[in-house]
Amino acid sequence: MQLNPIIKRDVRVQSRSMKICWGVFVYELILALVFFLVMLIIQEENKYSTSNIYSTLVLLYPILGVTQLVVLALIVPVRTASAISGEKERQTFDIMMTTSMTPFSIILGKVMTAIIQSMFFVVASMPVMALSFVIGGMSWSYLFWFFAVALLMSFFAASIGILCSSLCKRSVSAVIMAYGFYLVFFIATVLPGLFAVYISSYMTNFNVVSNNIIYTYQENFYLFLLVNPVMYLIEFFVKIMTGESLANEISSTSGMMRTAGPINLVTTGNRWMIVSTIMFVAVSFLFLWLASKRINPIKKHAGKRAEKRQ
Amino acid sequence: MGVSILIYRQGHRPEEIKGVDRMLQISHLYKNYGKFQAVKNLSLHIPQGDLFGFVGPNGAGKTTTIRMVCGLMLPTAGEISINGVDALAHQKEIKKQIGYVPDFFGVYDNLKVKEYMDFYGSMYRMGSKEIERISDDLLELVNLSDKKEVFVDTLSRGMKQRLCVARALIHNPALLVLDEPNSGLDPRARVEMKELLLNLKNMGKTIVISSHILSELSEMCNSIGIMDHGNLVASGRIEDVMDSVFGNDQLVITLEEGHETAVRIANEHVGVKVTSVGEQEIKLTHTMSKQEIAKMIGIMIAQDVLVTGFHKQEGSLETLFMRVTDHEGEQKGETENAAESNH
Repeated sequence: MQLNPIIKRDVRVQSRSMKICWGVFVYELILALVFFLVMLIIQEENKYSTSNIYSTLVLLYPILGVTQLVVLALIVPVRTASAISGEKERQTFDIMMTTSMTPFSIILGKVMTAIIQSMFFVVASMPVMALSFVIGGMSWSYLFWFFAVALLMSFFAASIGILCSSLCKRSVSAVIMAYGFYLVFFIATVLPGLFAVYISSYMTNFNVVSNNIIYTYQENFYLFLLVNPVMYLIEFFVKIMTGESLANEISSTSGMMRTAGPINLVTTGNRWMIVSTIMFVAVSFLFLWLASKRINPIKKHAGKRAEKRQ
Repeated sequence: MGVSILIYRQGHRPEEIKGVDRMLQISHLYKNYGKFQAVKNLSLHIPQGDLFGFVGPNGAGKTTTIRMVCGLMLPTAGEISINGVDALAHQKEIKKQIGYVPDFFGVYDNLKVKEYMDFYGSMYRMGSKEIERISDDLLELVNLSDKKEVFVDTLSRGMKQRLCVARALIHNPALLVLDEPNSGLDPRARVEMKELLLNLKNMGKTIVISSHILSELSEMCNSIGIMDHGNLVASGRIEDVMDSVFGNDQLVITLEEGHETAVRIANEHVGVKVTSVGEQEIKLTHTMSKQEIAKMIGIMIAQDVLVTGFHKQEGSLETLFMRVTDHEGEQKGETENAAESNH
């Protein structure tokens, strides 16, 4: 199987650039600063305490993890948002579109390059991250899970960036639009949940009484949180650190008030993480598909025209 | 030298292909941007092995047509077929048949010439060994063999443009389309580009080239299409188009004295029409034989017209272009005037 030529070219070109060296340097620097800041705070708080400091050091894992994911979330869309619009600005896009590469493979190549670059950062940060395992006493498998989550979040961020890149002619506007999309995912997915809280305090229309048990439906609005990156990360780190699930708290299956509807299906056991992961992958692929449709110059009617002629 | 082998490796030599003599066939092509019609009812065909020059003023619709042919734009209506394949319905196949050279050479920083060729070869799903072999041939053809290890962004503009042609040929396309390849090139680079295209033509490639530099086109192309305001106002073999526009017989008589007499004598002959009278020459169209021309000149000399010489007027692509596009302008003006008078 042939490697996507765009990945090969972009990685080769990036490796010759000083940008990547500076990128890794700044990334490591941020992580080191956060690490030392957290260590300082923990040491200050436990200065006069007789409790075991190592139990507190476990917190390094979520803090460093979240720091990395936030930095990646900021970097990756910038990389992909300038991918297509950058080709247009360089005027190499038209040539690319006249080759045998399909629009989807072009898009996928660009996204994969951004993911490889982000994984390059994550792998380079492993020594710093590993410190939290050595002195925090956590299982090494969590390091693998963190890598998987970083991969997923990079893919999601890259797909947002590439969609915006296909929509905008200029890289700058594509980057701004990508951050706008982020806000939509961060805020708009929370709003239905807040709406559910609001209506449950004022209305009881969503409740159905049967056999003296009150079935509530408004919790289903929380399903939107399945595609909220913050909720995903909270659920991931809470699960890793405490073994419990925040999502499980959403629904109630016993007592007088019971939650009804599809929310029950995803809030039992580990399902929230699984469904949420599938949702993120599906949304990402949807964005890639839309971007590929968008950049295809012969996107519409060509097939239909051919059929008509026949 | 393996270049000729490379070009014909997949059997694109015109005489070897049976059944398809039209490399590019465009029928009733339209492109509208809202109410503006960029291309109007364009129909033309380009036979295999032709070097076709696409001429027209800015905004005539040349680039729009080229982009539609290359699959970079969807026509509003009409059909395009390349090598007998419907270009709109079979995009995948068509991409293998076309090599496209845009008017601007986009550069990737930090990419060497060899890697540039490798990248585009991979885009056509070619194997690395095949790419290397063909790249070597093509770089030799475009005279860039010694620049393989050089970064593309350090090449001169002329070299970049030749590299772009080599890149467009990497997959051995049947049709090479160049949009203003000479724009911004210095005279030496233009000559080199012209020689390269003539080489490709001699090798049997079908080439479509749009350009503003008409003198170069007339030296290279064997057929042309002139576009104006979205219309194809003339197309075909250069000689045929010249004949149809200028007519076969245009005569220029140079003289020192007796202009009025000369015009009178010319007008007395059947089938002669004086088209212009200058200080030292008169131009006329005619349907006379050589003997009749000689007799007419003899009469002029006998009546004290000081004739210093006479010759057949040869039309140039520039004059052809000016005449054809002016004519369009006049027609448009007439139409507009007619519309205004109706109001």
